[in-house]
Amino acid sequence: MSASTREKSRPDAGQQTGVYVYGIVPGDVKLNSGVHGVGDPPGEVRLVRSGELAALVSEVDITKPLGTPEDLQAHAEILDATVTDAPVLPSRFGAVLTNEEAVAEELLDANHDEFAAALRQLERRAEYIVRGRYSEQAILEEVLSEDAEAARLRDRIRGADPDATRELRIQLGEIVNNAIADKRRADTRQLVSAMKDHCVASDVRDATSELDAVYVAFLIEAGKAGELERVVQDLSERWRERVELQVRGPMAAYDFVGTGG
Amino acid sequence: MTVMQGGGSRPSPTGLADVIETILDKGMVIDAYVRVSLVGIEVLTIDARVVIASVDTYLRFAEAVNRLDISQEKEGLPGLVGDMQEGGAKHKTKGMLDAATDKLKDYAGNGERERQGARRSRREED
Repeated sequence: MSASTREKSRPDAGQQTGVYVYGIVPGDVKLNSGVHGVGDPPGEVRLVRSGELAALVSEVDITKPLGTPEDLQAHAEILDATVTDAPVLPSRFGAVLTNEEAVAEELLDANHDEFAAALRQLERRAEYIVRGRYSEQAILEEVLSEDAEAARLRDRIRGADPDATRELRIQLGEIVNNAIADKRRADTRQLVSAMKDHCVASDVRDATSELDAVYVAFLIEAGKAGELERVVQDLSERWRERVELQVRGPMAAYDFVGTGG
Repeated sequence: MTVMQGGGSRPSPTGLADVIETILDKGMVIDAYVRVSLVGIEVLTIDARVVIASVDTYLRFAEAVNRLDISQEKEGLPGLVGDMQEGGAKHKTKGMLDAATDKLKDYAGNGERERQGARRSRREED
């Protein structure tokens, strides 16, 4: 990159707008007009092309913060709607560059071959997320029936003053929490292994709720979503009353793009 | 995008909490590829996640265990006392949880906005 490019694309002190980047797609992608992006008022989504690549962008007012529910939904919807037609490298929410020139030169040109190779790998593939939550009652009964210490502590706190039995409650809760974490690991292994022959890759996400049973992203070939559905159906039956499973997708491959650096 | 409940029955819209966990935590970090012309912009976020393995989590689990109906496992417990405890405890804990969930739902609800017009990009070759 030349020094003049740096000068051109550096933010001006009084700059009011920037270019929000949703993600990167192959250069042969066409965009329908009238798609609204993030910001208030939302800018129209455009393509900035360079070489074999294009970036999905829209203009935003950089003096206002981003992150309203509308902004978050717009970002996800634009990328997830794209993935059924073309591969896309989804960017994390909140990336803004100074102008379209900077997007073309600094983002697309400077990393052209890496992005093009990544897009080829994502061709005709999409991400699906399988998330399962334990039924609280079922999982607690399971833990109490398997752990004598938990059952003993339960008997001691039952009917007792909560403040007087605080330490016992913390002990009980910790045992339960750890037991559920063990079950989560075992159930996650079971899901990932059942999916082994039906996905290109998998990524186990960190649990974000203490009742999460499984939370795994899978990269799946177009036309193979039915196999995922069958695996999930089988597990739903095996885990009936115990885990409620949900499948989300197809969506952009958020869990399978590099973080760079 | 749709959600299949239990592997296939009825599609429902994606929740905002799921979207947040995906687009704020995952995805390509543009900062790693662009440095000079990156514009710092304020990003408002809400943290929809529950902190796991805190004392609050332990106490909540203990309370949930406490209000499990043990009449199926043990005979002869005074029914009335058991019911009262269960009812009282459930009310307290559930109340808190429901309030939090409602808040999130409201938040997600406000976010639903009609996006008329195609938002799909198409490849010329297809």
